[in-house]
Amino acid sequence: MEKRLNNAPCGFLSITHEGLISEINRTLLDWIGYEQEELLHMHLEILLSTPNKMIFHSYFYPMINLEGQVEELFIHLKQKDGMSVPFLMNAKLYKEDLVERIDCILVKMKKRIDYEQELRSAKKLLEAAYQEKDRALANLEQIHVEIEHQQAKLLEMNAALVELSMTDKLTGLKNRRFFQEQLEQHFNHFHETAETFSLCILDIDHFKKVNDTYGHQVGDDVLVQLAQLLQIQVRLEDIVARYGGEEFIIILPETEIPAAKEIGEKIRHTVEQDGWPTGSLTISMGIATVTSEDTETTLIKKADKALYGSKEHGRNKVTHFHEIK
Amino acid sequence: MENIVVRNNVTILGQGDQPLIFAHGFGCDQNMWRFITPAFMDKYKIILFDYVGSGNSDINAYSSEKYQSLQGYVQDLLDIIETLSLQNSIFVGHSISAMIGLLASIQHPDYFKKLIMIGPSPCYLNDDGYLGGFERSDIAELLDMMEMNFTGWASYMAPIAMSNPEQPALTQELKQTFIAADPIIAKEFAEVTFLSDHRSELPKVSVPSLIIQCSEDSIVPSSVGDYLHQHLKNSTLQLMEAKGHYPHISHPNETIQCIADFL
Repeated sequence: MEKRLNNAPCGFLSITHEGLISEINRTLLDWIGYEQEELLHMHLEILLSTPNKMIFHSYFYPMINLEGQVEELFIHLKQKDGMSVPFLMNAKLYKEDLVERIDCILVKMKKRIDYEQELRSAKKLLEAAYQEKDRALANLEQIHVEIEHQQAKLLEMNAALVELSMTDKLTGLKNRRFFQEQLEQHFNHFHETAETFSLCILDIDHFKKVNDTYGHQVGDDVLVQLAQLLQIQVRLEDIVARYGGEEFIIILPETEIPAAKEIGEKIRHTVEQDGWPTGSLTISMGIATVTSEDTETTLIKKADKALYGSKEHGRNKVTHFHEIK
Repeated sequence: MENIVVRNNVTILGQGDQPLIFAHGFGCDQNMWRFITPAFMDKYKIILFDYVGSGNSDINAYSSEKYQSLQGYVQDLLDIIETLSLQNSIFVGHSISAMIGLLASIQHPDYFKKLIMIGPSPCYLNDDGYLGGFERSDIAELLDMMEMNFTGWASYMAPIAMSNPEQPALTQELKQTFIAADPIIAKEFAEVTFLSDHRSELPKVSVPSLIIQCSEDSIVPSSVGDYLHQHLKNSTLQLMEAKGHYPHISHPNETIQCIADFL
């Protein structure tokens, strides 16, 4: 071997097609602590640990034979004392006449490999951290889903409670509280648009007698039946509520005096005609239609006065407040 | 049909009718048979392919779940046989592929006429009196060595690629890296290969087989050849003069002779 190649600042190694070492330079021998006689004609495997044999056979050997060259193969060689030395190896298939050699150049990469190992461990830590992050995120998402579910449940329960708080338990009609809210809204609307509405209070005639004669159960049945009847008789936009005891109240939106009276009369007539557990039953009704001087209180008072008027005039009557002035 | 042919980069050569399937081993692709196939061109129908994840297969068809055991690779082989409607095939498998063919023949003995196994091993790990040739620490070191020998490995970080919806561009880039980075697949293939143990399956094999063992196989100890011969019914053990683990590359003529003698 040429002297300069023998002492070149890199390892030089040539192997036969079968993998036997045919040439090796001084530099590489010094690096791995062998003498030339010990290695010549030996299989390169003598310098390889099991995993490195595997890399050699499964990557290097097929590649060099199929592609004619291999670049930057990372491989360990065993020193004579058993220590493993990392190398970077380039190889090229050399063919001339019948001679075939695999020429290899090796560079020690002791310092480089320490650096790479550091990078690798940093990468592994980072990977672990990312995995941890993903797990935490998945966990949070799970919690988020649960919270949303709980929230939907709460909203649902709340809606049910609100509905319950505005409903009269016995008749299923809206209760007085709801009515008050609606009345307030209708007043607001009236002030904004001057759209008239009417209010109608009705009361079962001689209801005390029903209770006394037939018992509270029948009294309740009568209230329920009347509630249903009112609900059917009014228009879609009208609001029927139980005002208390045997008193019911109806808001009639966009309704002037004559129309209000007509609706009231229709209801009164239907009640009178209906079949009741008590035989017959009648109601008295008072109606008031809003004016610009009215407040919620005065309007209710007016309707109440009109109802009183109906009672005074023999019951089973519909009276509008404007008739009793 | 198209799918499997493209998926496994199936190549069909030769003028004969008798199917002769060549299956590459770990770390390679169908190219490794380059020196062997010419000898069989005139009399056989030669089928070459790449396992999903290797060579020019469709890497998108790879999933870690499917290929976490040899069964995924066995299915590749069965899919190819069924797609091409091959009957009475002669199967030549190198290294881990020998085991893949063997497992396939247990599931469908009728598909195979003969199994030819080059440097086969049912278990690469040493285990209580059984000499597989590898210790667990060797496998770990091998995986490390592989990692350091693949470009693209270092730049690929699995957990990032898995989810990064807030940075779609990055995900896209990493996806491309993944397509280019069979290192991950190669690593999983290595794990499947070197951690598998199919010794208990051997008695179920009924198809006649040829075990081709290199005289000094640096990967698989020669005792493994004896072990296989003992546990496989209808098996023939052929010891080659060739040394190494890739006789079909290092000693193609002797390998061709061994195969031809058994056909």
